[in-house]
Amino acid sequence: MIRARDIEHTWRDASAEVRCLRGLDLELEAGEFCCLRGVSGSGKTTLLLTLGGMLKPTEGSVLIGEDDLYALSSGARALARARDVGFVFQMFHLVPYLTARENLLVVRSELGRAEREARADELLESVGLTDRADHRPAALSAGERQRVAVCRALFNNPTLVLADEPTGNLDPDSASVVLDLLTQYTAGGGVVLMATHSETPESRASRTLWLRDGTLHTA
Amino acid sequence: MSLLGQIYAEAMHRWVHSLLLFGALFFAAALPVAFHTTGSAAKRETSRLMRDLGYNVRILPKDAELTSYWAQGFADGAIPEEAVQRFTTADDLSYNHLLAMLTGRVEFRGASLLLTGLTAEVAPETKKKGSMIFEVEPGTVHLGHAAAKGAAAGEEIELDGHKLSVAAVLSEAGTIDDARAWVHLSDAQKILEMPAVINEIQALECYCADVGVDNLERLREELETIVPEGQVLRMDAVAEVREKQRRLSEEYFELLLPWVLAACAGVIALLTAINVRERRAEIGILRALGHGSGRVASLFLMKAMGIGVDAALAGFAAGSWLAVTYGPAVFPETAGKIEIEWSLLQYSVIGLPLFAAFSALPSTLAAVFQDPAETLREEGP
Repeated sequence: MIRARDIEHTWRDASAEVRCLRGLDLELEAGEFCCLRGVSGSGKTTLLLTLGGMLKPTEGSVLIGEDDLYALSSGARALARARDVGFVFQMFHLVPYLTARENLLVVRSELGRAEREARADELLESVGLTDRADHRPAALSAGERQRVAVCRALFNNPTLVLADEPTGNLDPDSASVVLDLLTQYTAGGGVVLMATHSETPESRASRTLWLRDGTLHTA
Repeated sequence: MSLLGQIYAEAMHRWVHSLLLFGALFFAAALPVAFHTTGSAAKRETSRLMRDLGYNVRILPKDAELTSYWAQGFADGAIPEEAVQRFTTADDLSYNHLLAMLTGRVEFRGASLLLTGLTAEVAPETKKKGSMIFEVEPGTVHLGHAAAKGAAAGEEIELDGHKLSVAAVLSEAGTIDDARAWVHLSDAQKILEMPAVINEIQALECYCADVGVDNLERLREELETIVPEGQVLRMDAVAEVREKQRRLSEEYFELLLPWVLAACAGVIALLTAINVRERRAEIGILRALGHGSGRVASLFLMKAMGIGVDAALAGFAAGSWLAVTYGPAVFPETAGKIEIEWSLLQYSVIGLPLFAAFSALPSTLAAVFQDPAETLREEGP
């Protein structure tokens, strides 16, 4: 379902060249909850952004279904990203001036206006945030913000959710709620690839991969 | 969520930024409106003052001897009367308020008078304005103060055997016109026995000279094509006053406007750059949510343009109020009557948003081309 082939990513600056990802291969199947672990700077975020169509690899290809993301035009890739990929970040990255509900509605979607609003309300209700729908991120707790961020990632019912340390800033209870949401999503056939330093999510994961020296290794 | 809704929410959220942007655009509208409104009034007033100073261009027969003209008060030689009509069909001329005249000397009650016959002013089709001089009906005469020699309005007098009714005795002017009798051109042609000719056309040099252009040369070139049988004199003192009056008011505007606009553009560019910097993470996440460059660019350009429309309306109102209230104090010599220039409203409402968008463009391009992956690695909100 998601296939990354021979992914190379090299950072270059004036003084150095760093091969962050080295011929990396990855396949993720429907319903899979995969944990990605590795030391800081090992390239986890780079891999997530590459798989999400946000960072073109130096070499290699990423296929979501039949779409080769980096063979698409930038406009088509943006559309594919909106349709097939959801992102969840450690720092939530909610738009600060929009309410919780508006943060869901800002997602690019092919749904009509009424359908979008219904979808936003449905998602917020599913995470117990109906009464917080009109609050801005600053008025929400960290756990609530991350629940909104997960709802946003799931808004278009994507093929793949890429989560970068989504529980890193949360207390255990909030972290558990977020993991529950992602687990439910995979139960419906979705794919989650979660970068984490924590061992807690591994209990939910169907497998854990380690990123070392630019390539993936099983635990 | 709609683009406009998002722009509005952001503008309200960062209200200090929006207010500063509004302020910069407000000044970019208000000051030019104030300057232009005052300047236009100054131009109108200058035009009126200059018109009051009288005709400043004289067209004489080509063979007229100028020393004789100045000595006797009229030119020798003649130009066909129809020559003045040629100006009415020509476009883009530096001449206006054209007055055909025939002047000669007559005896009246033991004194030698200047007899001047004239018709109604003519003007090019596109420049028709009110006459600068009174009109004389055929069969009547307007007598200068000294020329009247006791004659009174309503009295019938005789000039070289031609009977004329005195329409008016003019008040003392202190010029050669005090010794002049004004009659209709047709009467002057009969009295002076010079049918179908004139010997002078007086005119007002058009109010359209460009800085650095030798306007007398232009007057001569134009005359050569229209009335080749004439020569042109310009009353430099009057012309110079006109030019100075005109340029004084225009220079205020021309000197200040570029600086005002450049400063406002700089402030807008800086504010947009700050806005883009503050919203780097937001731009990154919008990209991650599948939005393209158009949406990202629109967030900044349409915000600037939207605030530009508001600022244009407010700036127009404030600029007009400033001009009407304080203009006469700033331009006491020229700004006699300042009126709201409604045409500036449409220029403001259309031009200012474009100006805002143009000023915000560099920062907007920076936002469009920023690497979203780069920003998403960084700490977010």
